Amino acid sequence: MTATLTPRRSTEELASSRPAWQKRITSDRAARFTFYVAAFALWLVLAGLFERIPGPPSVVDRLVEEFRRGEVFGNFADTFYRFGIGVALSIVVGILVGVLVGLSPMARAFLESPVMVALSIPAIMWAFLTVMWFGFGHTSPIVTTFLTAVPFMIVNVAQGVLGVSRDLRDMSSSYGVPLRRRVSDLVLPAVMGYVMAGIRFVVIMGWNGVLLAEWFGGSGGAGYRARYWYDANQFAGFAAWVVLFVGVIIILDQLIFERLSRRAFRWRDAAH
Amino acid sequence: MAVLTVNDLCKTFGAGTARANRVLDHITFDVRGQTFVSIVGPSGCGKSTLLNIISGVETHTSGEISVTSDAGKPARLGYVFQDPRLLPWRSVRRNMLYVQDADDEVTRRRVDTYLDMVGLGKHGDFFPGQLSGGMQQRVGIARAFAVEPDLLIMDEPFSHLDAITARGLRAQLQDIWAQSKKTVVFVTHDVVEAVELSDRIIVLQPGGRIFEDITIDLPRPRRQSDPAVATLQAEVLARLENMKAMTPQVAAAG
Repeated sequence: MTATLTPRRSTEELASSRPAWQKRITSDRAARFTFYVAAFALWLVLAGLFERIPGPPSVVDRLVEEFRRGEVFGNFADTFYRFGIGVALSIVVGILVGVLVGLSPMARAFLESPVMVALSIPAIMWAFLTVMWFGFGHTSPIVTTFLTAVPFMIVNVAQGVLGVSRDLRDMSSSYGVPLRRRVSDLVLPAVMGYVMAGIRFVVIMGWNGVLLAEWFGGSGGAGYRARYWYDANQFAGFAAWVVLFVGVIIILDQLIFERLSRRAFRWRDAAH
Repeated sequence: MAVLTVNDLCKTFGAGTARANRVLDHITFDVRGQTFVSIVGPSGCGKSTLLNIISGVETHTSGEISVTSDAGKPARLGYVFQDPRLLPWRSVRRNMLYVQDADDEVTRRRVDTYLDMVGLGKHGDFFPGQLSGGMQQRVGIARAFAVEPDLLIMDEPFSHLDAITARGLRAQLQDIWAQSKKTVVFVTHDVVEAVELSDRIIVLQPGGRIFEDITIDLPRPRRQSDPAVATLQAEVLARLENMKAMTPQVAAAG
């Protein structure tokens, strides 16, 4: 019996055989755009059905008003200051402790349980605790951001270090490569994927933490301003701030992480 | 060049347990000066374990081992593995520099010299993933020579390559070795390769004992087409067959 093979086409042929409009509507960008349009349409429908859900026009009106009053920039400046310090600390401490936990069985035995306990404590608990400890001001949101985010960084980086190729570690040992160079040239690049995933977690969890801390114990900041509208029973104002929170996360993800990932993994792209 | 002394060396995995497995059993030999020694034997006879102990990656259970330079100082080692073991996120040149003591102008020039010697002078800025398997293995060889080792250890470096690429690399290895005057310990299961490259062949038998230590006294460079080389290869193969017949478990292992 003779088998007939379907003619195989090269990627260049495949790419040139599809019209431009077809490539555009099946692109990643189109998928993302479709999601945003669908979410917006759902919002419109829900706002039409339920009186307690404010529709886009009233939310946009409130947003414009908040911008006009200078509330958005002022409060976000506070929030980003706290968030930035908390996230930066989480990333630096998380990488250092994660590498240590990954490399040293003693450090792993010592730190495994506290990290697991920290992971299981929700951000809202840290927010309450830090407000009780540090009162109202910058410290509570910074510490909440740090405590909420840093365990995720430690766990991710430690997992990455434990997964570093045994062959490459043996190669380094046989050549007597110094520890510092092993960390910078072998361990850190090998765990870069885990670091990037960790940073994503840190940003998302940290954002949660800072907003919660401001909600419960802030005298300013985006979380504080959202609570202001909530307490005033003005759902349009509250929803306007929720839109801003979501917008910030999307911008951070698309503009910063995508670029960082591309830069960190250019060696992988070069091989294909 | 180096002096390698192995005296009554034993290695048992899981020593002291019910699953104890002795892979090297009272091994004694030494290697001095610009000598190319091959260690041959069937799979599982402890060849790679012996190399790992020499390089310090593995510890031995009992016996003595020392690797010193001619001057009596601790020897600098170069290691070529079965696979290239390159950092995929570093360029070829950065991979070579990774194992060097310094990152100065002299070292960079030396790295480039060895890259030229293996025919990859124009590929220093490439990532390993952009090279073929044979090219990557050449980087591994250049990396080992570029540290200017007293002792060069090679663990079946051509076993994953096609016959033509392996033949080309063997010829290159002979040339570089002739110029660099290193002490080399080379593990292979290919007797033909061992005869072509070596001054001495140490034959390990299953259970990790030395079966025979054969001196290869043939002029260099050697070519497989040379009748003297072919005759000696046949003779060494016959001795290995003899070893197989004397140790039933080898015959069973195939």
